[in-house]
Amino acid sequence: MTQKELRNQQLLQEANERTAQFFTRRHFLKESAMGFGALALGSLIGGCGFDTAGSVSTFDPAHPLAPKLPMFPGKAKSVIYLHMAGAPSQLELFDFKPDLMKLNGQDCPQSLLEGKRFAFIRGVPKMLGPQASFKQYGQSRAWISELLPHFSTIVDEVSFLKAVTTDQFNHAPAQLLMHSGSPRLGRPSLGSWVTYGLGSENQNLPGFVVLTSGGKFPDAGKSVWGSGFLPSVYQGVQCRSEGDPVLFIKDPQGMDRDLRKASIDAINAVNEQEYSEYHDPEILSRISQYEMAYRMQISVPGVMNINDEPDYIHEMYGTEPNKASLANNILLARKLVEKGVRFVQLFDWGWDSHGSDANLAIDIGFINKCRQVDKPMTALILDLKQRGLLEDTLVVWGGEFGRTPMQENREGKQNPFKGRDHHVDAFTIWMAGGGIKKGFCHGETDEIGYSAISGKVTPYDIQATILNQLGFDHEKFTYQFQGRPYRLTDVHGKLIDEIIA
Amino acid sequence: MVLSITEFIGHLHPVLVHLPIGILLLACLFLLLSQKQKFAYLRPVISMILLLGFLCAIATCVTGYLLSLAGEYEEGLVSLHQWSGISVAFFSGLTYLLHRKNRLVKWQMTVAVLLAILILTTGHLGGSLTHGSDYLSKPLHFHEDTTGTAKIRKPIADIQQAWVYADVVAPILEKKCYSCHSATKQKGKLRLDQADLIIKGGKDGEVIVPGKSTESILIKRILSSREEEHHMPPKEKPQLSEQETVLLQWWIDQGADFLKKVKDIPQTEKVKSLLTDLQKAPVEKKSSPMLPLQPVEEANPTAIQLLKDKGIVVIPVAQNSHFLAANFVAATDFHDADIRLLLPIKNQLVWLKIGSTPITDSAMIALSQCTQLTELQLDHTFITDKGLALLKSLENLQSLNLVGTKITSAGVLSLTSLKNLRNLYLFQTQIDKKDWNSLLKAFPKATLDSGGYSIPYIKTDTQVVKAPKTVY
Repeated sequence: MTQKELRNQQLLQEANERTAQFFTRRHFLKESAMGFGALALGSLIGGCGFDTAGSVSTFDPAHPLAPKLPMFPGKAKSVIYLHMAGAPSQLELFDFKPDLMKLNGQDCPQSLLEGKRFAFIRGVPKMLGPQASFKQYGQSRAWISELLPHFSTIVDEVSFLKAVTTDQFNHAPAQLLMHSGSPRLGRPSLGSWVTYGLGSENQNLPGFVVLTSGGKFPDAGKSVWGSGFLPSVYQGVQCRSEGDPVLFIKDPQGMDRDLRKASIDAINAVNEQEYSEYHDPEILSRISQYEMAYRMQISVPGVMNINDEPDYIHEMYGTEPNKASLANNILLARKLVEKGVRFVQLFDWGWDSHGSDANLAIDIGFINKCRQVDKPMTALILDLKQRGLLEDTLVVWGGEFGRTPMQENREGKQNPFKGRDHHVDAFTIWMAGGGIKKGFCHGETDEIGYSAISGKVTPYDIQATILNQLGFDHEKFTYQFQGRPYRLTDVHGKLIDEIIA
Repeated sequence: MVLSITEFIGHLHPVLVHLPIGILLLACLFLLLSQKQKFAYLRPVISMILLLGFLCAIATCVTGYLLSLAGEYEEGLVSLHQWSGISVAFFSGLTYLLHRKNRLVKWQMTVAVLLAILILTTGHLGGSLTHGSDYLSKPLHFHEDTTGTAKIRKPIADIQQAWVYADVVAPILEKKCYSCHSATKQKGKLRLDQADLIIKGGKDGEVIVPGKSTESILIKRILSSREEEHHMPPKEKPQLSEQETVLLQWWIDQGADFLKKVKDIPQTEKVKSLLTDLQKAPVEKKSSPMLPLQPVEEANPTAIQLLKDKGIVVIPVAQNSHFLAANFVAATDFHDADIRLLLPIKNQLVWLKIGSTPITDSAMIALSQCTQLTELQLDHTFITDKGLALLKSLENLQSLNLVGTKITSAGVLSLTSLKNLRNLYLFQTQIDKKDWNSLLKAFPKATLDSGGYSIPYIKTDTQVVKAPKTVY
């Protein structure tokens, strides 16, 4: 008997003993009573006709990530969502307001403050003019600031939403709202909904990958890529761009691949026995997860390695291998999408330009953040384009809210550096590829960028639009939970038809 | 707004109307059934049902008449509906009397069928009044534009020479307002399909104040919040786009003239560009992404399974569609000889991603038979010009990805007959730079992407801004 078989037998024996322990008298009583009860309940519920006609995907626990059908043919097959956590200032990047310059340094008029609440501004703040100069670019004549010199060359590829609004002025709830359709915890994230609805085209990789940079997680924590009430296999898989992409992905020293396979087979054999006894679909789900993890041990390190990329790509993205950075993550996003990953979610922290210290100053740290993102995000669009992937890939860029046209005066006192407070009434998000119009701008803010005057959209509208591009009607894409069908946009959301090509 | 009592009673018509329909149809059914001995026990209740139906029909006629006084509906259709409704009431009363006196026996069948037909006709006329005469048949014409009745307009060659009302304003009103405010229906007694009627206004008075769009009810209601009661169009109906609203505002602000040409009316930059947009062909319908128009039958599941066994993802492009998309991203061990596996699904296969597989020119023989293909990715394969030339049979092809292959301009030029081709990806191919211009000329309608983009290094890319030493 080889060592492997011996080990298998030991494992099996152990499992049998466990099972034997399980069969107590109490268990027998419980099982028989519950059994009848469950039978009765099952038929009752079945008879009630729980309607899942609206929801498209039926969850197959044995193949939770198998590719599934959209409601209608979608223009986009995958999504790359670049979230600048902390919320970048629209007034220094996209929303050019020359009139705000004229008001620079003046007291903010009372009419703008009445009935408003801010995260930090108290009393009467001063207005703060744009801290960057602007020019118009491309055939679409889009206004872009000097802080994004590379991005300004590709404005004809993107659609700007200039009048996005939200109703949450703190980071965590605003991020949750943006990604899960609710400012409170517990709802599935956009990426989870998408992988739940469409599955994944590559069974060797996760369908929903999350990459973070900037030295800090988004304030809302891992819930922004959580699966909420959807089966847990749809949560985002966080990968690292430095060291092992997934922790513990390598086999421990002294364990070779065959032994790993043997142990997984043994565990699955035990699990299959469990399943034949209890018919709990979560067990099947677990079996498929073990198998996928085994496959991922080979495929993930390959796709997550940017060292093999040619030099011209590194020059284009400004990437430096073996270093955690936003640029590396953006390049990884392209590689993942190329390999059939459905949803790549990036978070980059450090955009919270209050002016409370130099890193968070609108004329210091903010400029550095812009330099970190400008080149790689431009490269991403151009690289997807030249590979013929931009047609099928929807790229979304934005923060969780905007920033005030007023300079922040934390608790009524002047901040040491120039900065702006959180602002919910107007900010900019751009989208590109995946059937979105090229070189287009939707929505307009007033003369000082304080509030939306036309083309106002909400996070729900953006979610509805993303789902639409993937082939889902956000009003019909539901999941039955706690007795009612839930949807990503809850009771809100209107497709932003204007930006759809 | 206070509803007068007659108006209120009138508004009950849509509720009451279902009672006589249901009750009298039941009576018809019982009349028919009770002829059989098996259902003879139904006979005693028929009189009762007929009486009830008759009374309800009368009540419905009265409320219907009161509703029609509001005059929101097309008169011809209303009077037809009115008289057929009255005849339902009359006929059901007559049937009741005859049935009670047992005079019906012989004619029972005929009477029941007649009464049913009369009820259904009246009901249909009523439905046409509220939902429009094409409501019932609309779902059957699914290939037509869902906006329905709008006639197809010729593109405007020069917008400045066009008529401001007839060519700019009327089309907007037609698309978004006519369904409730024109000849067939006049909600709020307002018609927007003729100049004099627009000026006349509706129940709440004039709807436009020439020169003052902000005071015009028409604009006010369009601009009001969608949740507001008076918002127009009603929130469940298609809304005006921003551009349409701006153009209406502009027209009213400039005096709401019905006879001028566009060029005779002052225009701001924004309006000018919106007007120029109208010049473009009738805006292309948002086409569903790259699918043939003709539906196909379902593919053979065994053929699909064979492909799946190779690790190839093959699934329909959407629910209720038989068109298939195939993706080789996770395919293992796929070679030229296996390409024949695609042939059984060639009628359904529309999107094919076969990039980064070791297929060569000989696979193109089979691929060239998949003529339904609209999107084909052949990037990073061993295809050459020889194989590419075979693909000129793919006349539905709209997007072709040849990135990272050995093809040259000669190969690409062999595809000029593909009239539907819109995107050609040619990054990292063997195309000579000097051939590029002739390629662009050969495909006037398509976008050819040469790739090879570079992003110049700017000094600031790697510079870090630091805080000045003394800040306070």
